[in-house]
Amino acid sequence: MRMIGPVVSSRGFGPQDHFCWVHGDPSDYCPRLTEFFSDGLERGLRVAYLGSGSAGELQEHLGRHIDVGPQQARQAIQVIPVEEIYGAGGPVDPAEVIKKYAAATQQALTDGYQGLRVSADVTDLVRAPAQQDAFARCEFLLERYSSRHPLSAMCEYRFDLGDAVAQFACLHAAAPAGLTPFQVFACDDGAVGLLGDFDMTCQTAFERAVQRIHPAPDDSRLVFDMSAVRYMDHRALLTLDEFAQRCQVPVVVRSMPRIVRRVARVLGLEHLGAVHLGEL
Amino acid sequence: MRTGAARGHAGHFHEAGFYGSDAEFRALVVPFVEEGIAAGEPVIIGYDDRKNALVRSWLTDPSPVTFLADKSVYAAPTRAIAAYRRLFEFHAAMGAGQIRITGEVPHPGNGGSFEGWDRYEAAVNTVWEDFPVWGLCLYDTATASAAVLDAAERTHPRILAPSGARRLNGRFQDLSVFEALPYVPDPLETTRPVIELGDSSAAGARQALAQIGEGRVADTILEDLLIGVTEAVSNALLHGRGSVTVRIWAAPDRIVINVHDQGRGPADPLAGLVPASSSIPDAGLGLWLIHQLDINVALNHADDGFTVRLRGHTADG
Repeated sequence: MRMIGPVVSSRGFGPQDHFCWVHGDPSDYCPRLTEFFSDGLERGLRVAYLGSGSAGELQEHLGRHIDVGPQQARQAIQVIPVEEIYGAGGPVDPAEVIKKYAAATQQALTDGYQGLRVSADVTDLVRAPAQQDAFARCEFLLERYSSRHPLSAMCEYRFDLGDAVAQFACLHAAAPAGLTPFQVFACDDGAVGLLGDFDMTCQTAFERAVQRIHPAPDDSRLVFDMSAVRYMDHRALLTLDEFAQRCQVPVVVRSMPRIVRRVARVLGLEHLGAVHLGEL
Repeated sequence: MRTGAARGHAGHFHEAGFYGSDAEFRALVVPFVEEGIAAGEPVIIGYDDRKNALVRSWLTDPSPVTFLADKSVYAAPTRAIAAYRRLFEFHAAMGAGQIRITGEVPHPGNGGSFEGWDRYEAAVNTVWEDFPVWGLCLYDTATASAAVLDAAERTHPRILAPSGARRLNGRFQDLSVFEALPYVPDPLETTRPVIELGDSSAAGARQALAQIGEGRVADTILEDLLIGVTEAVSNALLHGRGSVTVRIWAAPDRIVINVHDQGRGPADPLAGLVPASSSIPDAGLGLWLIHQLDINVALNHADDGFTVRLRGHTADG
């Protein structure tokens, strides 16, 4: 069972969890990384740390900052220069990134591990506004991939990114409580789950998040699951409706809470575009 | 082509009539309906059951007439505007040269509340201008209060007398200058609220309301109040001034909410009555949505700011 929603602790994440965390000082990240990796090793996962620098520098950094027990365990941690996955500079290519994560996950299974666990401080990959859209799309694809494959990821961002952090946090199944009022996550059956409160306070953020959602090439339709929605106002519903109208595959909404359905019906969305209020 | 007194008129031909007896009611309504039937025009009638039955009995052949049995048309002014508009669209698409409607809006004299219906009567001079509609609104002088009759007079450009005499109404106020009836405070509003939230967010207001409202009103009414308070707070934050204050009062079977800001509120007299206001489209849709719900909505423009009042009652559900 994946961990979904706001979380107050970074402990207990399973082999398919995708979550983000935010730190001010690198020293705040290290204990979390130690715990995440130790837990991964205990679960029989291949554990990989992504960072800037050569493999040697990364090994040295890990040796200094994290303590996962015996030397043998520490040596089991793979280090991957961040460019190997995300490319060197410029906006990332989301599809390419996911291909690389998929290959690495498959390799871990082939090598006898139960899956792959990764963590990276990705702040420098999203610092420039021009990089953010592609990276957010990448987070959404990673979210979808990890929901169906044994890849668990802890994506670290630094506080100094400011409000920009929320646009990435909302695309993880789990995020620290209070960071974002809503989340877009992947259900294990391929649906896109929506969670939390969608109202005026996060309308711009939701519009931006929706732009980062794309059906997979083999999706014949895109299903939004609203069972974890506490509230959704007319603006957010209209945003979804507009998304449905321009989406290349039919869009279906399921498990819409009664109060949201009430708003949708008053707006007359039953008759608009490809938003279907069936399966309610 | 239009017939009768509305011949040559473009848009909504809006007329009021005042009667003090069934005989006067008959004298006002029957010629209007019979003339429409004879001209092959669609005629729509929306009175209470007793008056609908009376009209039916007075007509030579009532079969071409549409009697609105569904009282929900008059559940709220905004819904009535939308429901009639759908009917007009249908008849216009069918090629009707004129559509005649006659009915009586709710007021205490016929068992309803007149709150908001003065704005409705003023608004329909404008919002149906794209249809060849002849609306004859009849008011019972024996049961309607002086305030209701006053508002009725000020909202109709033409008056029809039971004698059949027609005149232009000198007291008519165009929508742009129409003075709505004064805001009538709910008795609960003069008491101390259960909660007062300063600088409230929509989510904070929803949370407080959900806790206070649970078990006091039907779930569906509470949901409508939650939707309403969300839209009102959002509008206040987006378009109002100063801090937003939410006050909630609770009686055993009803809830009253004020969402107040220090701004002047929407200047558009159609705000809330039609989906998009000309000046602030986004706020227009939120206010319109609030007015579509199964709750009572009042807008209060006062010296200290603008307040949206929402009221929900168990019996409403």
